[in-house]
Amino acid sequence: MTKTHDSDVAFIKALAELLRENDLTELQVKRDYAEDDSLNVRVSRQMMAAPVATVAAAPAAAAPAASAPAAPAAAPVSAPADPAQDPGAVTSPIVGTAYLSPEPGASAFISVGDTVSEGQTLLIVEAMKTMNQIPSPKAGKVKRILIEDGAAVEFGAPLVILE
Amino acid sequence: MIPRWPEGVGQVILPTVDSTSLEAARQAPHIAGPTWFLGLEQTAAKGRRGRAWSNPAGNFAASLVYRPGGAIAHRALRSFVASLALQDALIAATGRTEGLRLKWPNDVLLNGGKLAGILLESGPSETLIIGIGVNLRAAPTQAEVETGAVAPVSLLSETGTDITPEAFLDLLAPAFAAVEAQFLTYGFDAVRTRWLANAAKLGEPIHARTVTETHHGTFETVDAEGQLVLRTAAGQRMISAGDVFF
Repeated sequence: MTKTHDSDVAFIKALAELLRENDLTELQVKRDYAEDDSLNVRVSRQMMAAPVATVAAAPAAAAPAASAPAAPAAAPVSAPADPAQDPGAVTSPIVGTAYLSPEPGASAFISVGDTVSEGQTLLIVEAMKTMNQIPSPKAGKVKRILIEDGAAVEFGAPLVILE
Repeated sequence: MIPRWPEGVGQVILPTVDSTSLEAARQAPHIAGPTWFLGLEQTAAKGRRGRAWSNPAGNFAASLVYRPGGAIAHRALRSFVASLALQDALIAATGRTEGLRLKWPNDVLLNGGKLAGILLESGPSETLIIGIGVNLRAAPTQAEVETGAVAPVSLLSETGTDITPEAFLDLLAPAFAAVEAQFLTYGFDAVRTRWLANAAKLGEPIHARTVTETHHGTFETVDAEGQLVLRTAAGQRMISAGDVFF
């Protein structure tokens, strides 16, 4: 595949089209051209009457704690950090409905601050009457839970951030 | 003629069990191949998201556990494989095809009533558990099911066919193996085409209820990911999780 600026633009346009046509809210694609050379595209759009936010409002970019005495807020507000880009993000392997507990009324699989082991179930994403247990990809600590119980999630949507 | 039991597939018959899917999950780490757990009595049968599933004696309750591998999104398409296999087993049991329809994603209807329910769980180590309940002898009363849901029916009352759970498993296990082989060899499209040919209310208005909303529209198709495609006043809508009402 030859890589040109024009073909990248065409690719992004095609994705935007796909988003509209299929009534999606977000789409993320990684195109590998060669080793260490790839295009990462994420297109999203605001929906009227959006069905439950798939991503909880992200607090402002994770600022290093070591920052000096707070500078006056002169700088323009930076865009919130994209949780999907967080190296500790666990993303949804399927489009569906996310549940934080095994069944209504039961206690949640995890809470913020919990230590989890590799393979431990973090939550469930239901699709086609299949309850998909989402395993933790590694041992770690639950830093954030980005979705609410019963939220609609897209493929690739960040669900949990581990550290 | 009873088809042959599929090669390499195990069978465990439990006189009584809390739930065949729970037992399948407990045994999953120890299985040597695909294994069916048949429960003659279930003391804690569960439906989707903890809903009650009534399981009177003589009805069928079994769970298949195996490790199909593949991506999670691909594994979930077994919903359609299982409902087609169940329909095939019911045709083998009754000798008739009429009245049997499939409701998205995997309910089997007979004469417009709910005859069976299927619930899948995709767990650790690429394990998939397919729990199948069929009202062979008795259907729960209307009071036991959710308001607005399809009325339950039994195979016995609708067709006069009286079959034991053990005999029904002898039909279902080979039927599942056959549809699974079709899925693995020819892909989801082959399964989807057959499923759509047997779908209830295709091209007709239906309601689909998700956790947050209810959508009304025309049931257009099932897409390549298994999602229900509805044509609504606000445009096309894909639904991956929810309940369908007519």
